[in-house]
Amino acid sequence: MGQMIEKAPTHIPGLDDILEGGLPRGRTTLLSGGPGSGKTLLALEFLYRGGLAGEAGIFIGFEEPLEHLRQYAATLGWDLPALERQHRLFLLGGHLKPDTLVSGEFSLKGLLAAAAGKSQEMGARRIAIDALEVALRLFTEPWQVRNEMHLLNHWLQQAGLAVVVTTRPSKRADASFYEDFFESMSDCVIALDARVNDQVTTRRLRVIKYRGSGFGRNEYPYTITRSGLSVAPISTLGLRHKPLGQKMTTGCAGLDEILDGGYRRASCVLLAGLPGTGKTLLCSAFVAAACGRGERVLYIEFEESAPAMVENVRSAGIVLQPHVDAGQLCILAHFPEAMGAEEHFLRARQAIDQLAPAHVVVDAISACQRMGGRQAAFEYLLRLLNTCKERGITILMANQTASDDLAEISGNGISSLVDTVIGLAYKVDAGEITRLLHVLKSRGSRHSNQQHEYVITDAGIDLREVYVGEGEVLTGTARQVQEARDRAEAQRREWELQAKELELQRLRQLRHQRGEDLARRTALRGASPPPPGGTPGEPEENQE
Amino acid sequence: MAPRPAADTEDASSKPTCRFRLFVAGNEPNSVTAREVLARLCREHLGGRCQVEIVDVFQQYEAAIAHGVSVVPTLQVEGPTGERTIVGSLRDEAVVLAALGLARSGGGRER
Repeated sequence: MGQMIEKAPTHIPGLDDILEGGLPRGRTTLLSGGPGSGKTLLALEFLYRGGLAGEAGIFIGFEEPLEHLRQYAATLGWDLPALERQHRLFLLGGHLKPDTLVSGEFSLKGLLAAAAGKSQEMGARRIAIDALEVALRLFTEPWQVRNEMHLLNHWLQQAGLAVVVTTRPSKRADASFYEDFFESMSDCVIALDARVNDQVTTRRLRVIKYRGSGFGRNEYPYTITRSGLSVAPISTLGLRHKPLGQKMTTGCAGLDEILDGGYRRASCVLLAGLPGTGKTLLCSAFVAAACGRGERVLYIEFEESAPAMVENVRSAGIVLQPHVDAGQLCILAHFPEAMGAEEHFLRARQAIDQLAPAHVVVDAISACQRMGGRQAAFEYLLRLLNTCKERGITILMANQTASDDLAEISGNGISSLVDTVIGLAYKVDAGEITRLLHVLKSRGSRHSNQQHEYVITDAGIDLREVYVGEGEVLTGTARQVQEARDRAEAQRREWELQAKELELQRLRQLRHQRGEDLARRTALRGASPPPPGGTPGEPEENQE
Repeated sequence: MAPRPAADTEDASSKPTCRFRLFVAGNEPNSVTAREVLARLCREHLGGRCQVEIVDVFQQYEAAIAHGVSVVPTLQVEGPTGERTIVGSLRDEAVVLAALGLARSGGGRER
């Protein structure tokens, strides 16, 4: 294995994982992105967090006035002036005043001299150059631009700093040549892309190249949080998942029986069904049972507000308010459209970090598509599932299906991570609706394969005993009718049995009587007693 | 580096002088041109009534930062028409003269 290049960690959550350590020291990293993509933020954060960790840095800005930057940083809770006072950060403006006159050729050496001087004075190890394309617009001739780039590049290489340069991809035809130059002078190129999908902004980051290092090659969602940038990488699936644990109650006694004990800890359970089949109730029953044992639960709700949900399940006898008050049940209620999928995920992860729950409920995963498309929903779920599996947190997901089609519930590519699937459905038969529950899959435990009838009462969900009669499972009225038939049948057999008994008695009596008669006649004649077994001509009696 | 005194001392008529601060980068071509042009303009149009300060950015980077200088050469003028900044080698003299409020043919007169 060759030598690892030296890297400067960004300390931005998730990013160093993707970069396998950080940005290259003594080399240039290009951050390319459109307006609002957060490239200036990333560059500044690289210096800010580096400064906090003891590495001095210089920021050269060509676009944003420096005072605006400080104010913006303050809204993120960053105290830049403090770092500046400690000589860990220096902000240098490269702007030309608007009424500057031009006479003849010039170059950016002034800036370079300032940067070089300051860098030496501070012992700087990092440098960020923001909006380099703005600086280059000062030069009208391509050869001038090339000169400047070479100048800059030369100095940067000599200085041995970890360099970050931000640039905006330009639509101008002639701009592509210096974009190519930027890319070739950079050892690491990162593209930041903010796009709008179904009216929701999604941000994706991709490392296009990183010479001399491995790196995460996919697109990773990132978000601009209240304290800076945050990237959410998908860690290697499955390799760090905790194994399934002990069984625990589902909150519903009948269901526990069907699942041979209940749900397994750290497993992923999917409850799928049409609206009104009681998914939220089943989830809440589980929550109530878990909180009753003193465990903490995070409930992620997409359709109702927290108080509305608590009130609605109360009518079915499930009481959650005391657990909310005690801080054991945390309900995270947001409309899916309220923000992008990355932010939903980061909020969920923050809540998990803070609460350290034993269980997470997502109600309902079908709503996630409104976060900005199927891809967004899929990524959100995948990340959430992965986070839970890595930490050994049980996750219960409710899925609202639009049809009775069972295939719909195990789709979306997450089925391999799901351990238990319970389908809830309606059956309309003979003028009535019956609710049916069916366990479709239960990894790691036995389960009943039949359809079970259940009703929603004001004491929760009540599962009826399975009725198996005449070789088929029956429910509802049909079941009652068959049960009545069965009873009638049983009664009839009982009577038949009694009748036969009586008949037997009668026949015995008869034989006994005949035996007596015979004895009397024989005694009268004085002849030898008849052989045992009766005289010929008399019918043989059956011994029962 | 100490400021270099003007080519001529001010005369008794106490006409206001122009103060120039020229930021250069050692002996690179643009900087050399700028110094030459400035010296000539001072002689020919201002009758030497100018105060010229030359600052080498590689030796006095703090001054460059303090005055917000990013490109080189940069000429900062404090003249009769107020403060002006001109960047470049100054080879386009008309621009410089206009900034000083001087007509191309005339010299030393205020507006």
